[in-house]
Amino acid sequence: MSTSTPVLARTAGRTQRSAHLAQQAKRERRAAWLFLLPDSLGLLVFVGLPMVLAIALGFFRVDGFGNIDFIGGANYVRMVGDPQFWSSVRITLIYLVTLVPLLFAVGLALALLVQQKFPFVGAVRSALFVPYAISLVVVAMVWQFMLGDRVGIVNQVLSWFGVEGTSFLGQPSLALATLVFVTLWFQMGYYMVIFLAGLQDIPGEYYEAARIDGAGAWQRFRAITFPLLRPTSFFVLITSTVAVITGGLDLVFIMTKGGPAGATSLLIYYIYEQAFLFGELGYAAAIGSTLIAVLLIWSGLMFLVTKGGRFDDGR
Amino acid sequence: MAEGLSRRRLLQAGTLAAAGLGAGALAGCAPSGASRTTLQLWSAYAPAPQQDPNIVAQSDWFLDRLAAWNAANDRQIEAVYIPNYADPTNTRIATAFASGTGPDIFLISPGDFLRYYNGGALVDLAPYMTQEAIDDYFPQALATRRDGDGIYGLPMEQEPLAVFYNIPAFEEAGLSEGDIPTTWEDLLELGRRLTGGQQAGMVFETTPGYYQNFTFYPWIWQGGGDVIDAETQVPDFTSDAAVAALELFGEGVRSGASPRTLPANGDVVGAFTNGYAAMWQSGIWQVEAMRQNAPDHPYGVFPLPAPAGGEPTTVLGGWAWCVNSKGSDPEAAARFTVEVMGSMSAESINAGADWNGRFKGNIPARQSVLDAIGDDDIFADPILQKFRDEIYPTGRGEPRYPPVIYKAVSNALQAVQLAGADAAQQAEQAQRAIESYLETYDGGDLL
Repeated sequence: MSTSTPVLARTAGRTQRSAHLAQQAKRERRAAWLFLLPDSLGLLVFVGLPMVLAIALGFFRVDGFGNIDFIGGANYVRMVGDPQFWSSVRITLIYLVTLVPLLFAVGLALALLVQQKFPFVGAVRSALFVPYAISLVVVAMVWQFMLGDRVGIVNQVLSWFGVEGTSFLGQPSLALATLVFVTLWFQMGYYMVIFLAGLQDIPGEYYEAARIDGAGAWQRFRAITFPLLRPTSFFVLITSTVAVITGGLDLVFIMTKGGPAGATSLLIYYIYEQAFLFGELGYAAAIGSTLIAVLLIWSGLMFLVTKGGRFDDGR
Repeated sequence: MAEGLSRRRLLQAGTLAAAGLGAGALAGCAPSGASRTTLQLWSAYAPAPQQDPNIVAQSDWFLDRLAAWNAANDRQIEAVYIPNYADPTNTRIATAFASGTGPDIFLISPGDFLRYYNGGALVDLAPYMTQEAIDDYFPQALATRRDGDGIYGLPMEQEPLAVFYNIPAFEEAGLSEGDIPTTWEDLLELGRRLTGGQQAGMVFETTPGYYQNFTFYPWIWQGGGDVIDAETQVPDFTSDAAVAALELFGEGVRSGASPRTLPANGDVVGAFTNGYAAMWQSGIWQVEAMRQNAPDHPYGVFPLPAPAGGEPTTVLGGWAWCVNSKGSDPEAAARFTVEVMGSMSAESINAGADWNGRFKGNIPARQSVLDAIGDDDIFADPILQKFRDEIYPTGRGEPRYPPVIYKAVSNALQAVQLAGADAAQQAEQAQRAIESYLETYDGGDLL
């Protein structure tokens, strides 16, 4: 009795404490859900619901004047047999596989550069980020002026070096590359900032230890920087893919309208064209749904490749 | 305890408020067109947000028509200004119709006509018109808005295309009015001669879209060809005339006579005043643009040159007033539209004369209006007289092809003009696409 009573009391105390902790955790979870509720509602109503409706719309013929007919998978069958759809898919893939690695590499290179200490580094960082702060429509219009065939400043500058002027937006072979360049110029500052944040998260002791062990700059980058940037890399790969696919619309709309000769008809522009120029809302929804599916698969693949941005220890 | 309750209550209240706000926002969305009490007239003219006197005058023209109607009728009509309305890529009207909130009265161009007509969105205005008023319209102006005896849009103007030329560029090259080209070969030759430095010789439209097709049609017609034969409703895009027109646009770029992209981002006035272009295919609306923005800059116009053995022909664009069949009061909207645009009353004819002859500088769509203007006001201008007397009589209404046909033509045109593709092969490909589409097409005649 004399020995068991304190044990029981301790046990009872622990049980009481853990019950209290469990109750507190439950309250916190409930509070967390309540705090998440407004945003979740917004997401559900303004993103989730339209997405579900768009997927459903893909099974209908909709003319935009209130006439809706259920046509099953006919829009998807049409999509598979539509050469312009496949042309847009091909162009989008070229745009994507060129631009995403470029954004990744240039963003990281610039971050590594502006992480160094040199005079006016702050000004250089700002200058590189400023394009991203400008409206994409303005960016497109300014570049359209600068790339003008005979009077654009780019051709003028090239002529100073004896290079004959060309039509950057009027040549099918150059137009997509020009769009890639303008998008890169516009977005690289943003990814530079993201990578810079990731770099500043890496503890300096790792580099000091590596230096003591005699590791060179490349070895330090390969063994420390790149692996520890995995969460940032995951974020950059996913967001740049989505940004490249959806952000292309503004540039194409202003600069080329999908031309010349369809050379810049990205899938997102083709969807826009079908929906709003041709009034083929059901067909556009079918293509849009397919694009959503492709993006989800791509995100999943990136999740697997980068282990979801986590490290092996689960962090 | 009190603190816990307070937090919970706060959270509950917040949640309820958020839900209430969300529901309120959804409920507060624009009412459907059918439930509005005041009718709406959508255009890019009124009420004008700019201060430019001419734009204000055009805006006032619309507002005066509404004020007169509103003073005499219970059913009130208001003007809604839609920025960038003239751009066919503007989605505002399309999305409004799709969501059931379309305007009661709105302006459309022929290129958009069949989409609205085939969708059952247009009211037949013929029952509200007298036969005298119907006969007063020029047939080519009304043709692309009709189906049988039905009239589904009343054109307020006609806008022919021509070639504008920059007199300083001609003078610098030692050219005069006597050098104005009359054949395609002459046009390209002159374009090549006038190209150099920052100056483009002969500008054809290069941006893909309805407008580019609009500028392309007259070149096919000049050789006796067509996209679709209006009589038989059979595609005719592989004809020699159509292939030749495609080759004209392709040869323009290949030979260096035409630029691949538009100088000055498509601004004719800026291109002429800065010496960026010598000749440019464009429409009558440029006369007003030049008058407003560069009144002292010398320029001229000439009819689109014809191919050897062909007939000079141009295309006539222009806005038409239409009434939404699913609007809140289609009958009142139709009566208003006919009263302003399609009545034989002095008010209607004078309104047309004011619009075309004083504020806009267009060819009217009605004989009575053309007669009322005479050589007064804007038509004292010799360039507009040239448009009226020499260019307009060769005009044919802008085709009203559905999107699939527009796209087939556009693809062929872009491929030949900018990607160096073979014209005959592209015409064949477009023809097959149009034939395939027409197998299941069920809608208004393709004109």
